[in-house]
Amino acid sequence: MVTFHPREPRYGRREFIGRSAGGVLALSSLGPLLAACGGGNGGDAAELVLARPDNPVTWPLYDDNPAIASGLEPEKGPLKIYNWNGYLWPRIKKDFGQEYGVNVEETFFSTMDEAIAKISSGAVEYDVFIPVPDRLGRLVVGKVLQPLNHEYLPNLQNAWPSVQDPWYDKGSLYSAPYLMWTTGIGYRTDKVKTTPADLSNPYEIYWDEANKGKTYLLDDGRDAPAHMLLKNGIEDINTEDPEHIEHAKRELESLIPAVNVKTSTDDYTNLPEGRAWVHQMWSGSAISAQWYLPEGLTSEVLGFWFPEDGKGTIGNDLMAIPRTAKNPVLAHHFLDYLLDVKHGYDNFANYVGYQPPLTALDPDRLVTDEVVAPHLTTAIVRESDFDTGYFLTELSQSGQVAWQNAWAEFKAGVG
Amino acid sequence: MAEPQPVSPRRGDAFWAGLALPGVAWLCLFFLLPFYVVLCIAFGSVDPLFLTPRPEWNPLAWSTASFEFTLERLFGGSFGRVFLRTFAYVAIATALSLLIAYPVAYYVARYGGRWKGLLLAGLIAPFFVSYLMRMLAWINLLQDDGWVNDVLLWVGILDAPRNWLDGRASSVILGLVYGYVPFMILPLYAFLDRIDRSQLEAARDLGASPFQAFRLVTLPLSVPAILASIVIIALPMFGDYYTTDLLSQSPTTSMIGNQIYLYILGGQQIPVGAALVVCLMLFLTLLLGYYVYATARAQRRLGS
Repeated sequence: MVTFHPREPRYGRREFIGRSAGGVLALSSLGPLLAACGGGNGGDAAELVLARPDNPVTWPLYDDNPAIASGLEPEKGPLKIYNWNGYLWPRIKKDFGQEYGVNVEETFFSTMDEAIAKISSGAVEYDVFIPVPDRLGRLVVGKVLQPLNHEYLPNLQNAWPSVQDPWYDKGSLYSAPYLMWTTGIGYRTDKVKTTPADLSNPYEIYWDEANKGKTYLLDDGRDAPAHMLLKNGIEDINTEDPEHIEHAKRELESLIPAVNVKTSTDDYTNLPEGRAWVHQMWSGSAISAQWYLPEGLTSEVLGFWFPEDGKGTIGNDLMAIPRTAKNPVLAHHFLDYLLDVKHGYDNFANYVGYQPPLTALDPDRLVTDEVVAPHLTTAIVRESDFDTGYFLTELSQSGQVAWQNAWAEFKAGVG
Repeated sequence: MAEPQPVSPRRGDAFWAGLALPGVAWLCLFFLLPFYVVLCIAFGSVDPLFLTPRPEWNPLAWSTASFEFTLERLFGGSFGRVFLRTFAYVAIATALSLLIAYPVAYYVARYGGRWKGLLLAGLIAPFFVSYLMRMLAWINLLQDDGWVNDVLLWVGILDAPRNWLDGRASSVILGLVYGYVPFMILPLYAFLDRIDRSQLEAARDLGASPFQAFRLVTLPLSVPAILASIVIIALPMFGDYYTTDLLSQSPTTSMIGNQIYLYILGGQQIPVGAALVVCLMLFLTLLLGYYVYATARAQRRLGS
């Protein structure tokens, strides 16, 4: 259950214009509700395997869903991209469009569930889609995505070897890696008395009463409880054990009397602007946060903790091509374009702040290029993290439901 | 001599009935139909693979599982307690809004004079700015180093900056009041402006003090307007989730709208969200029923 995502806008500063007051509830609740009507493509839920790092999955290929043939000419577009808002540098679209003589159109979704509802209904036709690994299996088994033809993707070899052949999609049959992040703890070095690294159990920083009213968790029904599990040494953050779920919920609820914990996905502004002193944080937000500091503050006031041994929460985004794509050849070229080292780096450094898993992207260069502040190197994702980190993976339906209900009870604030 | 014809539309006059057609069609298309869809989702199931809702269009085949789950939590569970909190916030915010809106509307209606137009424009001005924008502005004002703390410190009311945004209920309630009070002033003004002054003059002629004239004439006359303005702001407040999301972000101030938001936008259990929507609508219908009853009673009393 990914309720929110690193780049998910809620009421961020950038997006508030254009949202009108009265219509907010009506639009945002009825929209997905109605859009969500309509069945799947006849996929069989029984075929769904839950991929895990220790249970890698090679997804089946279906006769009625073949990959495109090799050696085709790219179509004339327009190339339609379905993406998170603010998750692609506009310049990339412009340059790609010029190179291939096509228009590039981008449509945004605000939750992965909304995107899946729309795309699985078959009512919309996009050429490129940015899904998350913990929904990939459902999209493949439901035949929503088409297999990739690697002939068009020579740049896939620029990616870390481990993400070229990842556990969630062995052989990258249906997906190519896009961006990576870790979930750590951001803090204000000028405000907190204790930093996570000072504690024998860094996750206990959330209970530090010195930061009462200034402690935030990510407003995400899986990322937030994952830190509760890790605090208690439960490394399987994809557990569906009711006792573990109950335990994580009680830990969350105990944060209310301790620090009146708050939840938000605006981590990249809450911390620099001082609303938060301790904030569960996505690494990409830690890198972007320096641009939101008020005048007079330098990035020295920002800190980001992620376990030194790499045993923390990690996640990534994928690029895929829907089965209904009108421009599948062009879409392959676009995926390859983004896997190019220069384009991937530019997209990351100039705009997105989330890092592409490219071998040639030297983490130390990020500091010399001033993309990442020198003391925030903990926010850089390294290839080794992919092997040591804990992924939030696909859950069974009952697991998703159980976690969602626990999260809803915590969010009710009555425990 | 012929009997005078009663002034009422003749039977079979299709023209007059036709005038109501666009409104009826609108209501069916944009209210009844969507509401039926919500019902079908609440009583439907989810796709086993994508977990997207599968509405059940046939009422005979409706599944009550999501409703049972919702009702169980509504009576004695987390939904119920959030609902009570929402009710309390809305009641307090509505009462405060009335305390603010009534005198303002009264002043503009009675003493606005030639400034009436300007004052009204001033009252409508907040509508020009999006609700979210106004709330985002408050976040900046209420921050530790925001103007609110600056002013309160300068005047000497506070010794140290207060963290208004630490998730306190009062900030949420005041946010609601701020957000909805203009919607209350306008209907109150429209009504108070129409009160026949000769009735007040009669009261004064018969020996009532100005306060008595207000208490015995103006106030009873404005009961229907007060009720209407309460309905106008209380109904959307019950569905509000963004005020608390912006000004508090603490689970302890979450409203029933937040739970609906979570279940509907969170996927997987959209039927539960839809069931919550239906329950909230039932409650609001009860409230509206009471409004209709109370207005009818007030009218009768004024008529006799």
